[in-house]
Amino acid sequence: MLTYFKNIVDSLRTTVKGMQVTFKNLRRPETTVSYPEELLPMPKGYRGFHTLDQETCIYCFQCARICPVECIEMKADRVEKKFLAWEQFSVDYNKCLFCNLCIEVCPKDCIHMDRRDGSAKFALITDDRSTLNVDLLLYAGLSETDQKAVAKIAADRAAGIETPPAKPAAGAAKPAEGAAKPAEGAAKPAEGAAKPEAGAAKAAEGAEKPAEAPSKAAEAKPAAAKPAAVKPAAAADAKSADPEAPPAPETHEA
Amino acid sequence: MDTLVPHLQSAWQWATGSAFAFSLVLSILLVVAFVSVWAMFAVWLERKASADFQVRLGPVYVGPFGLLQSLADGLKLAFKEDLVPRESDRFLFLIAPAIAFCGAFAAFAALPFSPAFAAVDLDLGLFFVVAITAVGVIGVLMAGWSSNNKWSLYGAMREAAQLVSYEVPSALALMVPVLVTGSLNLKEIVGFQCAPIDAGSSGAIYLSANGWLALYSPWTFVAFLVYYVASLAECKRAPFDLPEAESELVSGFHTEYSGLRFSFFFLEEYAMMFVVSAVAVLVFLGGWQPLPFVSLDLGGAAGNAFFAVVFLAKCILLVWVQMWLRWTLPRLRVDQVMVMGYKYLIPVTLGALLLMALYAHWGVRYIPGIV
Repeated sequence: MLTYFKNIVDSLRTTVKGMQVTFKNLRRPETTVSYPEELLPMPKGYRGFHTLDQETCIYCFQCARICPVECIEMKADRVEKKFLAWEQFSVDYNKCLFCNLCIEVCPKDCIHMDRRDGSAKFALITDDRSTLNVDLLLYAGLSETDQKAVAKIAADRAAGIETPPAKPAAGAAKPAEGAAKPAEGAAKPAEGAAKPEAGAAKAAEGAEKPAEAPSKAAEAKPAAAKPAAVKPAAAADAKSADPEAPPAPETHEA
Repeated sequence: MDTLVPHLQSAWQWATGSAFAFSLVLSILLVVAFVSVWAMFAVWLERKASADFQVRLGPVYVGPFGLLQSLADGLKLAFKEDLVPRESDRFLFLIAPAIAFCGAFAAFAALPFSPAFAAVDLDLGLFFVVAITAVGVIGVLMAGWSSNNKWSLYGAMREAAQLVSYEVPSALALMVPVLVTGSLNLKEIVGFQCAPIDAGSSGAIYLSANGWLALYSPWTFVAFLVYYVASLAECKRAPFDLPEAESELVSGFHTEYSGLRFSFFFLEEYAMMFVVSAVAVLVFLGGWQPLPFVSLDLGGAAGNAFFAVVFLAKCILLVWVQMWLRWTLPRLRVDQVMVMGYKYLIPVTLGALLLMALYAHWGVRYIPGIV
């Protein structure tokens, strides 16, 4: 008889307790993420589509050179010797094997696979393989600040003011700056000061590179040589324009 | 409504010469429309509630908040092939869903949504609802038997056993408020709960003499709990969803059904959920009155609409609690269901009924000498 009433009390108690547990779950925010519309942050070290920090990139070709499958294609013009007018920085995901070497080798830490902004994707699913040759450029040509700087140099040159960009970059930036533009406002010299310094860094690296490059190239070559030997057609295609690229990996696979 | 109905009525009278036929057709159409819309809403609510309890999102794409998901599903079901197993009892197989649905559907006729908004005002309303909802089990038995499928037959037999067992405690539990109010008319039962504390009072808001029956005395509260549990079993809801226990019986009595006929079983289930919740609301929770001990007296179309909304909101709340229980409790075993019905619910209800009868005889609500 006692167990009878105990059972009644127990069933009520446990039901209420269970309902409390489920109610707690009810108030928790949903863990589901509506994937295509909503994206989770990628963990550090994730290897997905590349993102390129175009402003810091110095066009040193380290990534393209170390790439074992030669899937990185970059093209830029140097304007006034230190500003980069971008034409192309594409990664062919038909070939890319996500080995992370391009990220490790980058001296300016400007190419990543674990960062995602609006332009970067991480889903490789596609019907059309030609879309897998992705251009990482956010803008083509000069960046806005570079455009201004170049325009200013051109204007200065037209006005006859001697502002050789390479010289202050090579030497000490600050004193040359003060001498070159005494008439400019307070803001301009500060900006101008930053630029030549960047130029200086670039120049310094440019000086390092020849020394470093042979060893790097020697390292990279054995890896790069093999795929190049296996598929000369693909290597040739990678150099050509986008529409040409897709058939190469497909024929290679077949 | 007040102005439109007489015109339509006269037009119909002109056409048929019968006022009765008009009101009949109009009532049936209203109930059909309500049941269909309710079923769609309830399916959506079920999916959203399940998602909420499982920390998911639920339907989000079709319509705002996924509200049109059930409409899309219904359309899909309507266009599906209506399969009939070759070895089945064809005639019974075909009419079973209709009969199962009729039980729940007919009960709507007697449910008053507000003082003036009821299809039929029956003096035996409560009795009618309890009796007619039991018709559904015939349809389920027919479906299970005629499918010529072991799982279907098991499901149907379980349903029959379960429904017959749980009719007893649920009907007994409903006897307790009937004992208190002395009426089987659902409107009068609600009227008892919102009766003014002094008969002479007039005004829109007044204190009620009795309040909601669930809070009227401990015995009515016990009766409310018992009725709610038994009603879960009657409409085959978890934890009493043995007739369609997916893990054991594929899909129970409607395993062989597809397309529109399958959707009729679905309609029946959700209509039943509404009916049992509506009875619980009308009998125990003050019907259309929004507050337990304070009653409103609103007339006119607006007042009736307000009352209907309150009533619907309460029903939806109770249906939601059914879903809450579904995601809380695991399914019982067959013998556990029977033990719970016969050894626990029936004696407890009988005790509550007896005590309520004694107290009603002495004319007190709670404990003699105190209240």
